[in-house]
Amino acid sequence: MADIVAAALASHAPLITGKPGIARPEQRERLYAGFHEMRRRLAAARPDLLVMFVNDHLQNFPYSNLPAFCIGLADAYDAPSPGGSTLMRIAPRRVRGAPAWGMALLEAGLAAGFDFAYSYEIESWDELSVPLHFLDPDGDLPVATIYTNCAAPPLPTLRRCHEVGAFVGRFAREHDGASRVAFVATGGISHWVGTPETGRINPEWDRWVIDHIERGDVEPLLRLTWDAIERDGGNGGQEIRNWVAAMGAVHGWKGETLAYEPVPEWITGCGAVWVHA
Amino acid sequence: MIRVSYPLNKVLTALARAHVTREKLSDTELVGHELGDTERSALLAGDIRRLYELGANPYLIRRVFRPRFPI
Repeated sequence: MADIVAAALASHAPLITGKPGIARPEQRERLYAGFHEMRRRLAAARPDLLVMFVNDHLQNFPYSNLPAFCIGLADAYDAPSPGGSTLMRIAPRRVRGAPAWGMALLEAGLAAGFDFAYSYEIESWDELSVPLHFLDPDGDLPVATIYTNCAAPPLPTLRRCHEVGAFVGRFAREHDGASRVAFVATGGISHWVGTPETGRINPEWDRWVIDHIERGDVEPLLRLTWDAIERDGGNGGQEIRNWVAAMGAVHGWKGETLAYEPVPEWITGCGAVWVHA
Repeated sequence: MIRVSYPLNKVLTALARAHVTREKLSDTELVGHELGDTERSALLAGDIRRLYELGANPYLIRRVFRPRFPI
């Protein structure tokens, strides 16, 4: 049995740490302040496991094999790797995985009709490195990962992501492998990456998403189609699947926005949202 | 509408994993890949809009054709 002690939603983008100087200072400092507050609250919650809803950017899964949902069973994650360190300007480090917890989740999922894929070796990019840089700078906490396909459509529906998150939440509460679990979802909010509209951000849509998270009213989010997100939130906006999964894990909880900054220089609508009962 | 070109994404994945970044590709880099004429010409021109329209994944487009992006 475990207590769910925290939940948080945080955008990820390599430029957030990789090129801090190109952002407007006031935007950068407000966002960093939000991440720092998130870190303070997370530390105060004293989790012994971070369960992270994240996504690949095609660095792991090629078009010859693309899982909708993949549980990471790695002993450790490069967060970042030496190569990623150069891009993200974060010192390379290894953070512990939670393979036993992940394997138990995998087996429970398969038994319950959630046919997760799994991987013993995952190259992590900004989806882990940037949020963990702010939230667990000492790298003390083990990390369990659930990778959702947000980057290579067709993608799982948001409703299914929410169902997966709800299952992970139930499992986390019932399993003995951790006693104080925190959920962290990364990605989003709106951004266009590698498309002809690269650099576009849609603050209006971002605020619509955040507003529903703050009210704990996720149903309108679950009805979003791939096309609607692609139009209003961009291909990077598809990553709100991770946020929706985390909201499923803490059903009924509501968001509190610690920071939201649409930062064109980082080509991302950057959010930091704390979620509480 | 979802557009996916497996041939484009296969070649772009291979180049991205080799850390190739170019404004445009060369014939040599496309050797051994089965590509249609339009796909091949878009890769050779580094035409990121056309590649996107043809079903290349934008994350792969950005990785390989990084010099094409001002940000």
